[in-house]
Amino acid sequence: MKLALLALRNLARNRRRTAISLAVVATGTAALLLTAGFVAFSFEGLSEAMIHGGLGHLEIARQSATEGRTATLERSVADGLDDWQALQQQVEALPGVLAAAPTLHVAGMASTAAGRSAAFLGVAGDPVRERRMGFTVKVRQGVEMADAPPREGEDQVLLTQGLAQTLGVGPGDRMTLLAVDPDGMLNALDVTVAGLITTGVQELDTRYLRLHLHSAQRLLGTASASNLLVTLDRTSRTDEALHRLRGVLAGHQPPLAVVPWTERAPFYRQVRALYRGIFWFLGSIVFALVVLATSNTLAMAVMERVRELGTLRALGTSIGQVAGLVGLEALWLGLIGGVLGDLLGAALIVALNWLNISMAPPPGAVDPIELRVLFVPEAFVGTILLMLAVLALAAVGPVLRVARLRIVEALAHT
Amino acid sequence: MTTPPVFDARGLVKRYILGETTVEALRGVDLEVSAGEVLVVAGPSGSGKSTLLHLLGTLDEPDAGSLTLAGTATATMNERARTLFRRSRLGFVFQTFNLLPVLSAEENVELPLWLAGVGARERRERARAVLAEVGLEHRFGHRPDQLSGGERQRVAIARAIVHRPLAVLADEPTGNLDSETATEVMDLLMALNRSRETVVVVSTHDPALIARAPRRVVLRDGRIAADTRGAAA
Repeated sequence: MKLALLALRNLARNRRRTAISLAVVATGTAALLLTAGFVAFSFEGLSEAMIHGGLGHLEIARQSATEGRTATLERSVADGLDDWQALQQQVEALPGVLAAAPTLHVAGMASTAAGRSAAFLGVAGDPVRERRMGFTVKVRQGVEMADAPPREGEDQVLLTQGLAQTLGVGPGDRMTLLAVDPDGMLNALDVTVAGLITTGVQELDTRYLRLHLHSAQRLLGTASASNLLVTLDRTSRTDEALHRLRGVLAGHQPPLAVVPWTERAPFYRQVRALYRGIFWFLGSIVFALVVLATSNTLAMAVMERVRELGTLRALGTSIGQVAGLVGLEALWLGLIGGVLGDLLGAALIVALNWLNISMAPPPGAVDPIELRVLFVPEAFVGTILLMLAVLALAAVGPVLRVARLRIVEALAHT
Repeated sequence: MTTPPVFDARGLVKRYILGETTVEALRGVDLEVSAGEVLVVAGPSGSGKSTLLHLLGTLDEPDAGSLTLAGTATATMNERARTLFRRSRLGFVFQTFNLLPVLSAEENVELPLWLAGVGARERRERARAVLAEVGLEHRFGHRPDQLSGGERQRVAIARAIVHRPLAVLADEPTGNLDSETATEVMDLLMALNRSRETVVVVSTHDPALIARAPRRVVLRDGRIAADTRGAAA
């Protein structure tokens, strides 16, 4: 006979009450699993969207260009990389690196023959490499830019929908880009609108455009690139690649900075902090509900068995053993309820993912998002441990009551 | 060297506070019980029978007086020592049987052995032997709710003696039984006393049982009114 077995048998006495307690614990566990799975999906989805939406896993830029700046479109061409092609070869030779693509940031004014004009923020790149890196451009109208470097007079541009609307242009229309080169001279470049795109972010969709690296270099009169964006075969290798690259580029002149994507994505950090807050808030509610519901059950179980517990004490069972018996009953509830909750959570995750539910775009976003819930193995183990802790906490009151039990009074209890 | 009495009570006083009233349940009880004795504590309700058994069983502490159990003064025992004493040296039988409903008869009887740290195989053998001794060899696996009142009390008695205690304290053990079963239970206790030389202290107000006891202590208003030995008149 073991104390744990006796505790388990005691749970089977009042099956209805035990079933209700287990349902509470299991539901709480499943709720936490779903929340954790959704949060994990959101983090993963958001991070991959940001990485493959143009951030890359790592950025290599001149240290002077990165100091004090975290935004993605603020690398000055004056602080650009003159030897970006050599760097590109060096970086792409490293293990785990999919590709390293140069980008050139350009800001200026776009105007049309009809006299409309608007300020723009542009990012120029190499379409072939960006495709290899898994960068995605959401073309809503028209076509993507040509892969080959455009000849003079054949420069193309991809406009965000809001910017195109402001300028009153569409695919096939001509327009002029004006920008200041590193020497302070105002340059102009005639371009053809190849297509209309969206960044997925409403504010950015009113100002953003994309063009070929060669077009931007022609507009700014430079052969430099603002930075090199590096993508890896797996996001989980970011830290490893970061340290390796910092080592490889340590002696470079002028000094270079290697910046992980998380440092260039304040939005991601904010969302992560927000979701974590929501997760802990929900977790606290579940914690409190389960503690309240189960502590009541455990207290009732003790009240109903006062004489029996007194008998155990009379027979020579120590206070610790009797209190341990009640504690073990609580832990059984936590363990069984947690395991049932894991099974319930797994079933709900499968069902929710199978339903392919779409949710409205989040604030500031353009596209609806798909509701997916990930299996987070740590959460499956963590919720069981959490429920054990919750039930241990719920058992504190009943255990203290048992510890204070006077044998004579307990034996006389009716 | 003489063997000390199993129970040696001197001037035991026990008071209970009920609201604003203090009730003296025992008012200076002197009692000595030697090894191998069978003693019936008799008296009307409220005379202090149960209180005396609680004190003798270290389930409660006296407010005054002294109690020595097999040579050890209870005043020197802390909670843990009292628990260990009960576990190894005493057995209890209650009016309402107080068996654990989730355990079988055999498991209920094993309980004191389990508390004493006896191994599983020995526990089972000893529990079955004692259950057979009380006539329940066909009821090992039955739970209390599958047993009659008399059978339950036999299981309780088996539980009380399985670890070979110095004394068994039985508080109104026949109170919930019909007269025939009550006589059987009392016979059983007396037989166990003879075969094991275990002290048996029984509290009861059943005149038939009192009459059959070799020693009778009558309590009245918390004091011993009579302490007689031999066949009742």
